[in-house]
Amino acid sequence: MKAKDQKEAENLVKDIQTYLSFRLGEETFATDVQKVLNILELKPITKVPHAPEFMRGVINLRGNVLPVIDMRVKFGMGKIETSVDTCIIVLNVAINGEEVMLGILVDAVSEVLEIDENLIEPSPSIGTRYKAEFLKGMWRNGEDSFIMLLNIDLIFSTDEVIMLQTKTEEAGEIVD
Amino acid sequence: MEAFREKFKEEANELISDLEQLVLQLEGNKTDQSIVEQVFRVMHSLKGGSAMFGFTLIDQFTHLLENIYDKIRAGELQVTEDILDITLNAVDHLRRLIEETDANFAELAAANKKFIVRIEQVLNQNSPKIENVRLILDDEDVIRKTKTYFISFDPSPDFFQDGSNPLFLLDDLCQLGEAVVVPKYSRIPKLNDIDPTECYMGWNVILTTAEGINAIMDVFIFTNNRSKIEVQKLSDINLLADKSYRKILAETLANKESIVIEALHSLTQDLEKIHSENETLIQRKSSASGHGRDQTISSIRVSSEKLDDLINWVSELVTIQAQLSLFAQQNHDAELTPISEEIEKITRRLRDDVFSIRLIPAANMVTRFQRLIRELSQNLGKDVLFETKGTETELDKNIIEMLVDPVMHIIRNSMDHGIEDTIDERVANGKPATGKILFNAYYSGTNVYIQITDDGKGIDLAKIRRKAIEKGIISPEVELSRKETLDLLFLPGFTTAQSITNLSGRGVGMDVVKRKISDLRGQVEIETELGKGSTVTIKLPLTLSIIDGLLVRIDDTHMVIPLNSVYKVYEYQHEKLEHAINNLILADDERVPAINLRKHFNFETPPPAIERVVTMEYNDHYIGLTIDEIVGEYQAVLKPLGTMFKGQDFFSGATILGDGSVALVLDPNKLVEQFAKNEIKIGG
Amino acid sequence: MGKKILIVDDSESIREVVSFTLENAGHEVSKAFDGVDALTYLDGKKYDLIITDLHMPNLNGIELIRKIRVIEEYKFIPILFLTTESQTAKKMEAKDAGATGWIVKPFVPEKLLEAINKVAR
Repeated sequence: MKAKDQKEAENLVKDIQTYLSFRLGEETFATDVQKVLNILELKPITKVPHAPEFMRGVINLRGNVLPVIDMRVKFGMGKIETSVDTCIIVLNVAINGEEVMLGILVDAVSEVLEIDENLIEPSPSIGTRYKAEFLKGMWRNGEDSFIMLLNIDLIFSTDEVIMLQTKTEEAGEIVD
Repeated sequence: MEAFREKFKEEANELISDLEQLVLQLEGNKTDQSIVEQVFRVMHSLKGGSAMFGFTLIDQFTHLLENIYDKIRAGELQVTEDILDITLNAVDHLRRLIEETDANFAELAAANKKFIVRIEQVLNQNSPKIENVRLILDDEDVIRKTKTYFISFDPSPDFFQDGSNPLFLLDDLCQLGEAVVVPKYSRIPKLNDIDPTECYMGWNVILTTAEGINAIMDVFIFTNNRSKIEVQKLSDINLLADKSYRKILAETLANKESIVIEALHSLTQDLEKIHSENETLIQRKSSASGHGRDQTISSIRVSSEKLDDLINWVSELVTIQAQLSLFAQQNHDAELTPISEEIEKITRRLRDDVFSIRLIPAANMVTRFQRLIRELSQNLGKDVLFETKGTETELDKNIIEMLVDPVMHIIRNSMDHGIEDTIDERVANGKPATGKILFNAYYSGTNVYIQITDDGKGIDLAKIRRKAIEKGIISPEVELSRKETLDLLFLPGFTTAQSITNLSGRGVGMDVVKRKISDLRGQVEIETELGKGSTVTIKLPLTLSIIDGLLVRIDDTHMVIPLNSVYKVYEYQHEKLEHAINNLILADDERVPAINLRKHFNFETPPPAIERVVTMEYNDHYIGLTIDEIVGEYQAVLKPLGTMFKGQDFFSGATILGDGSVALVLDPNKLVEQFAKNEIKIGG
Repeated sequence: MGKKILIVDDSESIREVVSFTLENAGHEVSKAFDGVDALTYLDGKKYDLIITDLHMPNLNGIELIRKIRVIEEYKFIPILFLTTESQTAKKMEAKDAGATGWIVKPFVPEKLLEAINKVAR
């Protein structure tokens, strides 16, 4: 009897994943907490000229140079206007098999959530502004709010960075 | 030394070939002692030279191989097929070992060990008597314990007559280890009886050495038989290591000149007893610490990862130290300021020392060029002499590693396209029949220069131009300076060779050379004289990871410009710059093109009323960078910007400032190149 | 100050490195490639010091010394062995043949010069 309970508990554990949710504008996103190394208060970011717009710049993280990405620009939502809630989430992502440390700039960090994988709903292919492959799925949080669970490794895949990069470069030339 | 090393390598290769020949001869006449004698001699020469010139593996290996032939010579072993096989295999193995470098040392050492085991098997099969061959296999065994010896030395009265000097022998003794030398005066006669040509002195010596008693005896080996020499082991431990024992021993010897060895022994036993008591105490305190190897080691092999780690930590320290200096400056604390200054001094020393560890002489790569040239002269049928200069010039190990390929390519070019195809062609031009390629390395300022010069055909500028027009790279009406024309050689896909050879025409071109050099934050230039030859000059920074730079500010962004690029700084009213025609500013009566970084980097805030222009040299021209303000000199520890900023290669990285913020480190060469491509013609 | 020194070694690189070391220290150096060659140098020239290898073709170091020591003006000239051999028996043999000293290869230039200064006066 006891053994059975334990087994059930184990099964349960297997399906539960911990996520860190954060806010970008009006929307809430979440990333697998295992990818998160640290959450930093906003500090001065050194802009790197000629970098794509979503690359906000670099900061010093314990003596190393950490690139910071403006997630709102990345998702086409307009640059983040900093406030007291603005945070940098330090992530360890795999870009084409290579571990890269980077920071994402978000409007606010919300909470740590325990989400049952079985309850994750597939993201609707129409209706979201975000490319389907960026999203692992949606999770209903309360009555009518959804949290978008991000596929963080894919968001920073090299191809995507290059694509956006060329776009901004072209845009830059037009402005000139 | 490198030149001798090279010479020895050639010699060794000949010796190895001789050995091969001899072994084949021996196969036909297995009992021919004269051949065995020659084999022995060849191996002896190999051993001697390899030890002399730092080929440790060959030294080790031949030493053991020699054992076999020593036994054969002494009649203790018979020449068998087995032994001949092993020796022939050994010949091949030696050919690999002679290419020993720091890079392949570990690999070769492993192969060596395996081979030595094979030889050992043969030795043991044939003669179970050899038990000391294992000695050289394990360093553990070779390093002997330091022991204490007593030496009584009484030179014969006629000692001076054959030119000997007892003090030299004492000197030799002292060099074996640590010694307490106590003179014996008792043989000195009264002043009137002294014959100045005679030796009356004697000495008692307590010596601690790890060399063994034979080494001590060896010191006296050429001493005449009339002198009295007595050597005895006193103790298996280093008695002189303890200051108090040392004092006791010295005093005892001074008081009792003709001390009986038994008395010394009993004294020693007492000391040993105290010592072992202390020892157990110490061991109890720190059982983890290994038994100290008493032998002094003058150099050790350290893995480059460890060095890289060390350099990373020093870089961290430099960063933190900058933070401390800033803090001390802001706080005006009378106690803190001197401490911070002292730390700054020490950090700088430490930085320089640690970085110098990673510096290795250019000679390390020259071997490979030498081989390349030898190989190519055979393949191409060109007689070429390779000369080197300044091979002692030291470069960062990482730079050397990355430099080998591009330099190989340049040399290949010189061999292939530079040096004339036939001797007749050279002689007709009044040149010596043998072509020459010179490798020259030297320092200048904070840069290292590597030059490859050949005395070949030189490059025909008209031909380059024709080709560039043909390829549509330039239009026929464009006029190019000499330098600009030569720079065309660095464009992708540009080669002046008539036909594509398998040596240098294919695959990488000078554009790749240039790219690789510029990855090292270096520059490359070609100079040539038709009919006389060409010189390729590579200019490189001294180290890759720390840059002495000028810290500047544009808006709220700090940037570091490497000091080795900076020529001068000027101040201008903003309007003056604003109205400069074609971005040309007047610096010391010279018109210099300036890149306005504020504009170039799209800073949107209004510029200050007074701006600064930092001028720097770029390909024999001056070019300016307009910035807001100079902050000061700064030692920048270079941190990579990472893969996310691949497109921003006009920054070689970033660095952490004292206040913890990040400054970007400019790569002026790349910046100017990029700018030149889009905006202005440099020096036009 | 500089001495006239004869180097005998069958290895060119060793000859070169020794002569380089000695010449840098201001000595005048002659180089012979084996024992027989060495003997041709002794004719009509007075060397202050001879440095020889042990194992050489034609005439080895010990045989060479024996031959040198019969020459009247070379009876007391210091002769040093420079060799990888370090067996005491060999050294004794060398001493009996009339050698003055023994330097083991590989040598450090300073040590070589030091050894030379000790014997050459």
